[in-house]
Amino acid sequence: MLDSLHMLITIAVIALATFATRALPFLFFGSREPPAMLSIIEKNLPPMILLLLVIYCLKDVQWFSAPYGIPELFTISVVAGLHFWKRNAMLSIFTGTGLYMLLVQLNVLSFL
Amino acid sequence: MAGNGKDKQETGEGNKELFLSAFKTTIPVLLGYIPLGMAFGFLLDGAGYHWIYAFLMSLFVYAGSGQFLAVALLAAGAGLTEFAIATLLLNLRHAFYGLSLLEKFSGVGKVKPYLIFALTDETYALLTTTDVPRGSSKSGFYFYIAALDHFYWISGSVLGAVLGSVLELNLEGMGFVLTALFVVLTIEQYFNSEARFPFIAAVGAGTFSLIFFNPDNMLLASIILGTLILLAREKSMQKTQPTQRAWRALQTEPETRAINASVQPAEDKTRRKD
Repeated sequence: MLDSLHMLITIAVIALATFATRALPFLFFGSREPPAMLSIIEKNLPPMILLLLVIYCLKDVQWFSAPYGIPELFTISVVAGLHFWKRNAMLSIFTGTGLYMLLVQLNVLSFL
Repeated sequence: MAGNGKDKQETGEGNKELFLSAFKTTIPVLLGYIPLGMAFGFLLDGAGYHWIYAFLMSLFVYAGSGQFLAVALLAAGAGLTEFAIATLLLNLRHAFYGLSLLEKFSGVGKVKPYLIFALTDETYALLTTTDVPRGSSKSGFYFYIAALDHFYWISGSVLGAVLGSVLELNLEGMGFVLTALFVVLTIEQYFNSEARFPFIAAVGAGTFSLIFFNPDNMLLASIILGTLILLAREKSMQKTQPTQRAWRALQTEPETRAINASVQPAEDKTRRKD
């Protein structure tokens, strides 16, 4: 009983901490105008953050041992190429994911 | 006739359409959150916790990497302060997400607190890149996207915790669907905006952080670094612009040459003061 209470309190703490990080800018700039500098970079943040999220997805890749991140880089370039060409989000995403699953599950690059 | 569009919005018919369109937008997240949520559920189950906790965490915390971190901290027997600090640091990047949504989220009405609560990486990516269907309500569309993503995440984690190791599905590599989603949305941002510098800043800041920070810290580090680069660039642009304009005028307009020539030294003086 004490254990489950402790777990519930822990979950509440994590939930509050997470919500705090998400609500921070809205609380801070809820009643006052954001500084001019901020509104200038505001529209530049999403493209930057999205590309950073792509790079973040590569954080666990082992670059110095086989297969040297080749499945990831190869699939990302296929997704990007396909999307520049056809601009069909579903096509790009599912072709890429299917290809990646084949590459890692069938160990296609095991010769490296 | 003219009122039709508005009427449609009020009826269930228009709502259903909006829901379906939001559902279509979130399909990649569905396919990403189910295996990822299941992985979290497996982990929590493996650590000896009842599936109800996986459900409660996904319902109330709703942060992918934050919940994985929580499992690690639970296993390590961490104290509440450690939970609070580690979670704050890990999720601080979300504060930057809000910064670029201040305007988009103004005027969404009573769903705003929920939209802020449900602001994961993936939902942020969808909300900043996807256009609201013509003639539909922004708040409704955003709410459906956020709630669907949330629902997928809860379903995945409960599924993982309940099934435990019973299920032997080979989902290896399926999490790549989220990488592919980010790639596609980055390219959409490239098409939607003329700004190219954010991508350069991202490559610089991202590569640097990938090399010099450990995997747990790199996203926050790269976002802070990238934002500083954007700010620095904006500052330097503001400084150089007046002289650039004068220089261009000097080259193209012979009549204004005399005026510009007399203006320029004054500008140089102010620049030196900086």
